[in-house]
Amino acid sequence: MSTPAPKQAANKPTPKPRPIPKPTAGTKYFWDAAKRGKLALQYDPDNKSYQFWPRTISVKTGKRNLEWRDTSGKGHVYSFTVTHVPATGFDGKTPYIVGLIELDEKVRIIGNVLNCKPEDVKVGMRVKVMFEKLSDDISYFAFEPDK
Amino acid sequence: MAKKNFLEKKDVCIVSYAETKIDRTTGKTAYELAAEVAEELFTKTKMKPADIDGVGFSVPISECSNPFWSNYATDYLGISPRWLQTSDLGGASCIGNVARGAMALQNDICETVMLIGADAPSTKWSANYGAYRNEFWEPTGINGPPGAFGLLYQRYMAQHDLDFRGLGALAVAQRNGAVLNDLAYEKFRQKITIEDYLNSRQVSSPLRLLDSVMFCDGGNGVIMMKTERAKKLGFKNLVYPISYSEMTNFKCADQTPDITESAHSVSGPDALQLAGMKASDISMFHPYDDFLIAVMLKLEQIGFCKRGEGSQFLRDTDLSPTGALPINTGGGQIGAGQPGLAGGGLNLVECVRQLMGEAKGRQVPNPKNGMVTGIGVIPYGRNWGTGNVMILSK
Repeated sequence: MSTPAPKQAANKPTPKPRPIPKPTAGTKYFWDAAKRGKLALQYDPDNKSYQFWPRTISVKTGKRNLEWRDTSGKGHVYSFTVTHVPATGFDGKTPYIVGLIELDEKVRIIGNVLNCKPEDVKVGMRVKVMFEKLSDDISYFAFEPDK
Repeated sequence: MAKKNFLEKKDVCIVSYAETKIDRTTGKTAYELAAEVAEELFTKTKMKPADIDGVGFSVPISECSNPFWSNYATDYLGISPRWLQTSDLGGASCIGNVARGAMALQNDICETVMLIGADAPSTKWSANYGAYRNEFWEPTGINGPPGAFGLLYQRYMAQHDLDFRGLGALAVAQRNGAVLNDLAYEKFRQKITIEDYLNSRQVSSPLRLLDSVMFCDGGNGVIMMKTERAKKLGFKNLVYPISYSEMTNFKCADQTPDITESAHSVSGPDALQLAGMKASDISMFHPYDDFLIAVMLKLEQIGFCKRGEGSQFLRDTDLSPTGALPINTGGGQIGAGQPGLAGGGLNLVECVRQLMGEAKGRQVPNPKNGMVTGIGVIPYGRNWGTGNVMILSK
């Protein structure tokens, strides 16, 4: 729970690349969907609700009866932070926006807000999903203003 | 729901406390820091390793890749415990361990409990979290706790008036404590002003540098036993935990919770009710302080002030040792430096030190009691995982 130490100019280490997710048995569908440009969410048919982040059990019913559904990828900014100290793989990108997005399916997801200046992002602003290709297998979700 | 106060009889107590100097990149291991804490506890209580039959640790970031940490650590210290507890509640572990140690003592599983937090994250980093972090957290560039708290600040500002001068007043009060605390990280032992806080650089806006703790190395600990035994052994300066409440994963299944509300909105009022007290009965407040807003939200949720009025309360209240509500009188973690996941013990030990009347130049005049809180773990898109509260008294 701490602030990263300030970067030292001298003997600056080579920047590490952005971490690339390694899908698990339980998240493979999500990343396969992302590769075809869709934001997939787990749907609990017993409780008729979505959940995120992915788990293989319903946090409502305690059953593993969940299905994946492609969604519209639309929602609004519930909160955001403008990052001035680059995280691993984000050297040279500051300041950048990390949003806590409330999707229309009533779940929240953390992702970058791109194609938007830090001074223009607002709580309540409508956004839609987009994807950044990180590797042949992984397209990573982000959001942009939905005008 | 909990509802019996297992601490109401004052049948267990803390007889001694210890704390190391807080410093950065010491080159020490958590074992070596634990040894410093243990030696001070042995010296103060005139005990030896063979006298300890119960031990509780918090998991250190610097040693968490070892699944047998507490086993190795007790071996390192020469202790053969009959009760051994390792808590991974992060910064909530230390008061969590006081509660767990009390239960072990009350049930005669052991009779002398040593609780130690020791961590050296600025020397060695061993944590690798898994769960949602590798796929859904790190690749977003959120930058860990500062980013998570940046989201929390921004959301609070969307719902309430946040007067940053109130947070600045808290930063100043805690730093004043660090100046008077010779165990505090040396570079932090100089006063700051509210303007210094307001002008400190943005890290994860609206979160500033001086909203934040800095990881250091250090350790702390206490010794507990049944009150009856403590008196028989001649210990005179006793501190009693008198109520405790804990919750992990507040509104876990709710997919769209109000993130400005935390587990402390349950555990805070609960701990007060168990003790038969109101917030206004608390002599001093020693809240876990990773970021300033966490202290402010706890003031609101435990009931020291109304929801949405935390920053105004901080701005208008004398937070010094002689003030209306002394807060983190030794500097807290933000003022004195955060000894990794031993951090929660820093707030606990300062409360015990104050109740024993040994805080010297920063002593609160005759405190009747003190409240300590813990925070553990940063969950996905919320505030914090574990929120616990302990009230202690003379």
